Amino acid sequence: MSNRTGFLYDDKYQEHLTGNYHPEVPDRLPAVYKGIQEAGLLEQLTLVKAVPADLKWVETVHDPQYIKRLQEACNSGSNIFDSPDNQMCSATYEVSLLAVGGILEAARLVMEGELDNAFCAVRPPGHHAEVSQAMGFCYFNNIAIAARYIQQEWDIQRVGIVDFDVHHGNGTQHIFERDPTVFYYSIHQHPTFAYPGTGREFEKGKDAGHGYTKNSPMLPGQGDNEYKQTLQRDLVPAFDDFKPQVILVSSGFDGHIEDNMSDIKLTTEGFTWIIKLIVELAAEHAQGRLISVLEGGYSIRRLPELARNHVKILLDA
Amino acid sequence: MFVSNSMTRKVITVEPDDGIFKAQELMAENKIRHLPVTTSGNRLIGVVTDRDIRSALPYKFFKSTPSEAEKNNVAELKIKDIMTKDPITISPAFTIQDALLVIQDARVGALPVVKEDGTLTGIISVRDLLRAFINVLGIGEPGTLLCILVEEKVGQLKKIVDAITEENISCGSVLVARYWEKDKRAVFPYLLTQNVVYIKEKLTRLGFTLLDPMEWYLDQLPKNE
Repeated sequence: MSNRTGFLYDDKYQEHLTGNYHPEVPDRLPAVYKGIQEAGLLEQLTLVKAVPADLKWVETVHDPQYIKRLQEACNSGSNIFDSPDNQMCSATYEVSLLAVGGILEAARLVMEGELDNAFCAVRPPGHHAEVSQAMGFCYFNNIAIAARYIQQEWDIQRVGIVDFDVHHGNGTQHIFERDPTVFYYSIHQHPTFAYPGTGREFEKGKDAGHGYTKNSPMLPGQGDNEYKQTLQRDLVPAFDDFKPQVILVSSGFDGHIEDNMSDIKLTTEGFTWIIKLIVELAAEHAQGRLISVLEGGYSIRRLPELARNHVKILLDA
Repeated sequence: MFVSNSMTRKVITVEPDDGIFKAQELMAENKIRHLPVTTSGNRLIGVVTDRDIRSALPYKFFKSTPSEAEKNNVAELKIKDIMTKDPITISPAFTIQDALLVIQDARVGALPVVKEDGTLTGIISVRDLLRAFINVLGIGEPGTLLCILVEEKVGQLKKIVDAITEENISCGSVLVARYWEKDKRAVFPYLLTQNVVYIKEKLTRLGFTLLDPMEWYLDQLPKNE
């Protein structure tokens, strides 16, 4: 029997425009949709639509001054925010709120038991966004806000985050590095060779949160085999100890061999293996509760199959 | 790039007649390992290190609790008995590069910084130099490092910098290193962006070779020498 899997998808997420010369383009989402639709999986999924997030949830992570600053930058027509990396348009603020809101809606459905798990195909991505700074195409830290929301709305003590985007989720790590109730695990290209330059092996959390952050930097050229070994060695025992009650996944597909954002050489099958492993961890520790949120992944050619396989694993779990 | 900009100015010092325990406490309190020894008028006459202190302590101090009498014996030891006299020093007008070379050559962990008139004005440690070089490399800021292989001829770096400028990317740093093939250099621009897709394509179009990061070697010596 297949799972009740949610699929957050909305044309509105394409309204965040990044100009004509940027890899994080609106077309990424139709590519995701196309893969899932052509495989005939849409009928099996529960479609979740975008809704604007209540600001009180965004403020569990971000400084109100920062939120205001982003809103004002959008209203004033700026097309860059905090760094030339962050190309935006007048709709970016609203679309960012819709991304958070849609994810929280998917999280609510999972937490209330109406869904077993969900895949949230949103833009803009989130894991680089810091408390008061936009970074690396990210404005609101979607996954961090979802973690706070779940903790505060339900009686959840332990949230596990797995981030397999090829770049380290500096924002997510910094937000939770002192917090022993959220375990942040990231596997990514080694920070000496890739953006943003954090996520080294010795970054393990701070103060009370020491031991609740774990980073697995991967060397350029490494792929499926090294990822499998490393995830078995680092992620599995960490989550077996931590026993997350719900698992959030920062799903970035930019480590694909054909994605030229990185030097990591994961194949499509490698990504399938990764999500399968995370789904197994969710089944073991979190009653299967898993919310996957799109981060990077820029190969328009490969996104359809990557999204299709991702969702297929969620359905079959 | 001068020692005076990177050194620690608030130097904690001891006097030659101070006891050894005082020096030990000062080091522990301030998490430092070197204390310049000065006399009146802030004149430097020596340096005492945590290693000097450890060498002066009897073995018993590490293994068990020493008796009062033993403690008193050691307490009588003065800094002037264990310090390094006439230590190697450096001038505040020297550059960071000078300091690196002096420290490497002298095999010490820190150098007192002494003005021409012989008075102590600071101390520069390996840690200060590391901080300076983390800043120079730009790796405190988010960015992406590239490695570009270039022929050693005039104008190559300009082409690279022009390409980076055209892409509207800021540079955190650019290192140029020797490469193991003769007449070639490796250029490492640290770009303050996540978005390196287009600049990589552009550099390749311009005829540059982007090196596989696993082949990077920051201090490679040419093979044919």
